[in-house]
Amino acid sequence: MPPLRRALVWGIPLLVWAALPFVATRHIVDLLVFAGLYTIAGLGVAFLLGQCGIVSLAQSVFYGIGAYCTAWFCAHKGLPSPVGAAAGIALSTAIAALVGWPILRLSGHFLALATLALGIIGQVLFLEWDWLTGGTLGIGGIPRIAPFGFAFDTPLRFYFLVWPIALLLLVLHHNLLHSRNGLALRAMRDSPEAAAVLGLDIHRLKVQMFVLSAALGSAAGSLFAHYVTFVSVDSFAVDRAISFLLLAVLGGVYTVWGPVLGALFITVLPQWLSRLGDIHAFVFAAALIAAVILLPEGFGGAIRNWWRARAPK
Amino acid sequence: MSLSLLFQSVLSGLTNGFVYGLVGLGLASIFRGTRIINAMQGDFALIGGITAVLLLERFGWPMAPAFAAAVAVGGIAGWLMEVLLIRPLRRRGGSEDSYLLLTLGVAFAVSALVLYTVGRDSHSLPGLGGEGIVVIGDAAIRTHALWLIAISLAAMGALRLFFAKTALGLSMMAAALDADGALTTGINVPLMRTLTFVLGGLVGGLAGVLVGPLVTVYFDMGLLLTLKGFAAAILGGLANPMGAIVGGVTLGLLESLAIVTVSSGYKDVIAMAILIVIMIAMPNGLLGRRLRKGG
Repeated sequence: MPPLRRALVWGIPLLVWAALPFVATRHIVDLLVFAGLYTIAGLGVAFLLGQCGIVSLAQSVFYGIGAYCTAWFCAHKGLPSPVGAAAGIALSTAIAALVGWPILRLSGHFLALATLALGIIGQVLFLEWDWLTGGTLGIGGIPRIAPFGFAFDTPLRFYFLVWPIALLLLVLHHNLLHSRNGLALRAMRDSPEAAAVLGLDIHRLKVQMFVLSAALGSAAGSLFAHYVTFVSVDSFAVDRAISFLLLAVLGGVYTVWGPVLGALFITVLPQWLSRLGDIHAFVFAAALIAAVILLPEGFGGAIRNWWRARAPK
Repeated sequence: MSLSLLFQSVLSGLTNGFVYGLVGLGLASIFRGTRIINAMQGDFALIGGITAVLLLERFGWPMAPAFAAAVAVGGIAGWLMEVLLIRPLRRRGGSEDSYLLLTLGVAFAVSALVLYTVGRDSHSLPGLGGEGIVVIGDAAIRTHALWLIAISLAAMGALRLFFAKTALGLSMMAAALDADGALTTGINVPLMRTLTFVLGGLVGGLAGVLVGPLVTVYFDMGLLLTLKGFAAAILGGLANPMGAIVGGVTLGLLESLAIVTVSSGYKDVIAMAILIVIMIAMPNGLLGRRLRKGG
């Protein structure tokens, strides 16, 4: 690609990204913040599916653990935000390793069901352990992230916190895929037997990836808690895990920036459709069905294929 | 804990178990015939249940034809689904996961459509045998629950005979096991796949009219039913539709025992934890390999 075109391909989206929150309404910016949060959590689900072939419906649990750790340490104990986020990631990764070790011996539909079972267990425990989580009443008064006295307290400011983090993680993800471990993962996905013969410990790699995915979910949960300043069980039910999986598949799990497109689809579209009145839920579901049938590789895959098809001309 | 309380909870667990088993029976039948996990099996029950509610309440149909029509509508829904959605996806070469997502999307669509047309109210269906109660020892069970158990067992037996003895059932099995081979012997494979979904829809619609009197029919009931049915089918061994009933009853009993021994809040935790353990320890389901037939 000539330098000028390369500059345009990267520069124009960046400019649009930077200018968007200043021209959009506060409501839209709020949705875009959620899209950023969902991108981070969905990225974890997307690379599990794309690189390891693991369908995870447990991401809502780690998202919840991150949010509750932040709520507990920052709101109840008054500790700074990095402590809450770090505690969330530590707890999530520990649980993911502990539970992932036996569960990742399963494969296919069994594994999908096992992660779903985890999601349900998490949802019930978040509700039943109300001495810890506040149950349906939730925990309020979570402080904003405010390094050096600058509080990320509006959607606009938070937009410029969450999206750089999300983009950084996407770049790291891209690098991971092209590292030695990434190649090992691809070998493992495409030919498990050959990978095993090459001396790759497949099970260990899967557990590592599951742990990494849980860390992303937890980080997104912590950011979510700081953004909305109030957390309750409703945000961490199994339907949230289903949304994370949907966004990963809709965006396309084989492209790095697929989760961004998927996250925009599931956050912005339902809100935009809500002007249609009560029928909007049905229209959203129909759009979902159409996307699954028409774009088997997701939005990311469709755009990439289109780009490759026109590139030589 | 008194013995009668335990017995009562066993009875209610048994009833719930047959509900899960009936949903699982449809799921496993569709899986066996097409290798698709149908994430909207519970919504077939919603379609059947809500059809029965509308026919009884708005159109004043008598109970028997209304229930029969509701089951038939479930079958029609299965037919429409296969012809309009599954078939185009198959033609475009859908992966295993894309079918799961497609059916999940249909589940959302059905639920949203019921919300839009009928509203968010819960509707109760009259039970078979009215509101009568049968007393067994110290415990009581609704007459309807006995009907539910009898009909579930009958449906299971009928499906078993259908797949093992009739030409159509054998053709459907052949189409599922070896599509190319079946094609060369003159079996209309696409038709068999469609019929598999019709069958799944019929079983789902039946589950709907049988569940309606126990738990109410409402727009959001599908997903939870699907989950429990899925768990039942996996417990019994996914490839063995008859196992779904066994798996469902096991799940229902475990749940009700969890309620009396621990607390009602933890019933799903215990059921799900046991499910994970069984999947790891007994990957072929409770019935194991011995009873598995035809893939």
